[in-house]
Amino acid sequence: MEKQTIIQHLFARAGFGLSPQEWQARKDWSKAQALHEIFGEKIQSIPVLVSMPLPQKDMTQEQRMERQKRQRELTGNENINWITRMGSPKESAFLERMTLFWHGHFACETQIAYLAAQQINSIRKHALGNFRELVLAIAKDPSMIRYLNNQQNRKKKPNENFARELMELFTIGRGNYSEKDIKEAARAFTGWAHNQKGEYIFRKGQHDYEQKTFMGQMGNFNGDEIIDLILKKRETAVFITRKVYKYFVNENIEENRVKNLANDFYDSNYNILKLMYAIFNSDWFYDAENIGTKIKSPVELIAGFMRQTNASNFTKQGLLYTQKALGQILFKPPNVAGWAGGKNWIDNSTLTTRLNFTTIVIQASELAANNEHKKLKKRQIKRFQATLDFEPIFELVEGKEDAAIIKTLTEYLIHPPLTVPKKIVQNFSKNENRSTFIKNVCRRLMGLPEYQMC
Amino acid sequence: MKRRNFIKSSVVASTSLMMPAFFKSVTPNHMSSRSGKILVVIQLSGGNDGLNTIIPFENDIYYNMRPTVAIPKTEVLGISDELGFHPSLAPLRDLYNNGELSIINSVGYPNPDRSHFRSMDIWQTASASNEYLSTGWLGRYLDSECEGYPVYHALEVDEGLSLALKGAHRSGFAMDNPNRIKQAANYHYLKRARQQTQASEENISYLYKTLTDTQESADYLFEQSKVHKSKITYPNTKLAKDLKQIAELITADTATQIYYVSLGGFDTHAAQKGKQQRLLKQYAEAVKAFTDDLKSNDLFDDAVIMTFSEFGRRVKQNAGGGTDHGTANNVFMMGGKLKKAGFYNAAPNLSNLQNDDLIYEIDFRRIYVDLLGNWLEADADKVLKGQFKGLKLV
Repeated sequence: MEKQTIIQHLFARAGFGLSPQEWQARKDWSKAQALHEIFGEKIQSIPVLVSMPLPQKDMTQEQRMERQKRQRELTGNENINWITRMGSPKESAFLERMTLFWHGHFACETQIAYLAAQQINSIRKHALGNFRELVLAIAKDPSMIRYLNNQQNRKKKPNENFARELMELFTIGRGNYSEKDIKEAARAFTGWAHNQKGEYIFRKGQHDYEQKTFMGQMGNFNGDEIIDLILKKRETAVFITRKVYKYFVNENIEENRVKNLANDFYDSNYNILKLMYAIFNSDWFYDAENIGTKIKSPVELIAGFMRQTNASNFTKQGLLYTQKALGQILFKPPNVAGWAGGKNWIDNSTLTTRLNFTTIVIQASELAANNEHKKLKKRQIKRFQATLDFEPIFELVEGKEDAAIIKTLTEYLIHPPLTVPKKIVQNFSKNENRSTFIKNVCRRLMGLPEYQMC
Repeated sequence: MKRRNFIKSSVVASTSLMMPAFFKSVTPNHMSSRSGKILVVIQLSGGNDGLNTIIPFENDIYYNMRPTVAIPKTEVLGISDELGFHPSLAPLRDLYNNGELSIINSVGYPNPDRSHFRSMDIWQTASASNEYLSTGWLGRYLDSECEGYPVYHALEVDEGLSLALKGAHRSGFAMDNPNRIKQAANYHYLKRARQQTQASEENISYLYKTLTDTQESADYLFEQSKVHKSKITYPNTKLAKDLKQIAELITADTATQIYYVSLGGFDTHAAQKGKQQRLLKQYAEAVKAFTDDLKSNDLFDDAVIMTFSEFGRRVKQNAGGGTDHGTANNVFMMGGKLKKAGFYNAAPNLSNLQNDDLIYEIDFRRIYVDLLGNWLEADADKVLKGQFKGLKLV
């Protein structure tokens, strides 16, 4: 495998790909150098700038709807903050990528901006830490408590929703517990609630302190102990490792590899950082079958494009619309099972949007930069404008002939081998003006199915 | 039925020659025309208030629970001793009188979910309320029964494709209007690319195949949309425009068997009366024009139109002159050859509620059994992943 391919693959999977400047600086690095940088990054949370809406009694229907609308707007802003962070070369791509992974794993729809921001910070804090701490943070997360009805989980009337999903989707997976285990676990999480300030609280009066029988063990278990018992099972390490492998390596799973990784994950007491390092440091991660064979998720696609074009000032409507049209809106997974991923991202409508998205953003941004507002309006692409900076890409191909430009940009932008003749790209990019030609090459390459892969 | 064999495969045939066999998406005999029955699904999004659609105008509980939201008895269009239409549904009265409309009351599912998205997913995937499926009921029909058919065998008239039409191996086709796809920024470039690709890796091949299907389908549907122009006057609304497009495609004998279309805005938490009145009017007028159109072309006997919403609304109104999310609701079936018309079952029982909501009586998947098993002649148990008894309405 070529050195550059290794670097490109690693940064694509452990992040959202590199900006042209980063690519220029890193493409001749060794794998060890790159891993050193990725794993040396610091974890930072996003400052939460919104607050919990104040509790208000006797709201009229109009006031309630007004408040919901306001929260939708603010949650939209949190969405934009986050995707902008993913798309900015200034931020830690690896951390954001891990946070995105866990957001899909602990899938939760949040309609209150403060709680959404708080949940993501909480995931970010543990994304590369200890899995037990992460599960515990989720179990105490007000958003999740609302989403899975734990607020209604009381001693006298247990609600099983959280306990069920905790086992089925978040930790051990189907087939490793009984319906009775769910009922007993639900009792252990009674009283785990949140207050109006958006803080976790333990309501003693609603907690069931009686004896429970869970996975063959008896005791007066509380929620923490239930999580410990679940994590004590090796099946949990396997379930999580399999999901990590599927997301970061390949949809087709090599069970032996997963088994080995899961054993180490279990023995490390669920150290996520070590698990990720083992994957990215392995030889098989760089096998041809794992390179450029995953379909990017919509958010990965958008964030990657933003990094490659140094995009800023993306319109909020454009970013939200594109997420919606492509089927992945942050803070709004389809259900608690998260986004199905892979070929599920693709139908005729989402594919058409994907293949046109980059061209439309480039064209809209250009019209906006040239103050051609009438054309923007006429073509109905006003909302897709951003401020793009192609200078670093120009530098990447400086002094090169047409064919060499296409070769260099293909290496930079396309992860799998190109399946169409470069001549087509060249013919459809023709232009007297040098920089227009280079931009055309970019958008033609980005408009190919190969660009959907990473 | 008038059989119109417009062979529209020439566009496809010419491009197919240049492609590797793998990328040939459709075979010409499947392109030429549809065979047999048509299913049209109309989705009312947001949770249409069923109790104000089919109104129990002799029921005191209804009027007591809804002091300002109830439709006054004098305005109700009575169609049975105890039930009547919302005044906006007047255009559907003839269908009812002709035995071309069937109304199923209290349709729902166990452990109802009051979230729009979740409940809509449950209806679209035909799952139980604690089960998460990533394929839709019509998508699974395409998977199991429609191998070798073109992607537009099931067509959604919309920008995006609903989960209902997504299968694991085959999905329906989404198209707001065929021109739009043809005008897409990269159309000619991508046509050249997909004709010359040497893709072999599974996922990339899948993308190129989807691309090929999309472009060929857009070309075909664009041609089909010019074959027949409707002679019926449709109202000037989005739903009417969508249904007109569907009627024209059906009349042109397009090789599409399933059509899917939606009308949104039914989430009437506040000031319900005016909103629902306008929406139901749009619905009824569009459907009336659509059925007239099909009738005038002798096609209504070949069609079944099913209308549903993800849930009904709370029996008791709220303080804002609206209603909150509820549970069971009514479903409409229309067609020229219904086996049982009129009311399938009695009005919902308003004195026996659960958490202030109606208790469902008919599982919605029983309606799917009728549509899949009886109408489309498919193996309904396989598609629905379970056994449900049909209603024998079609």
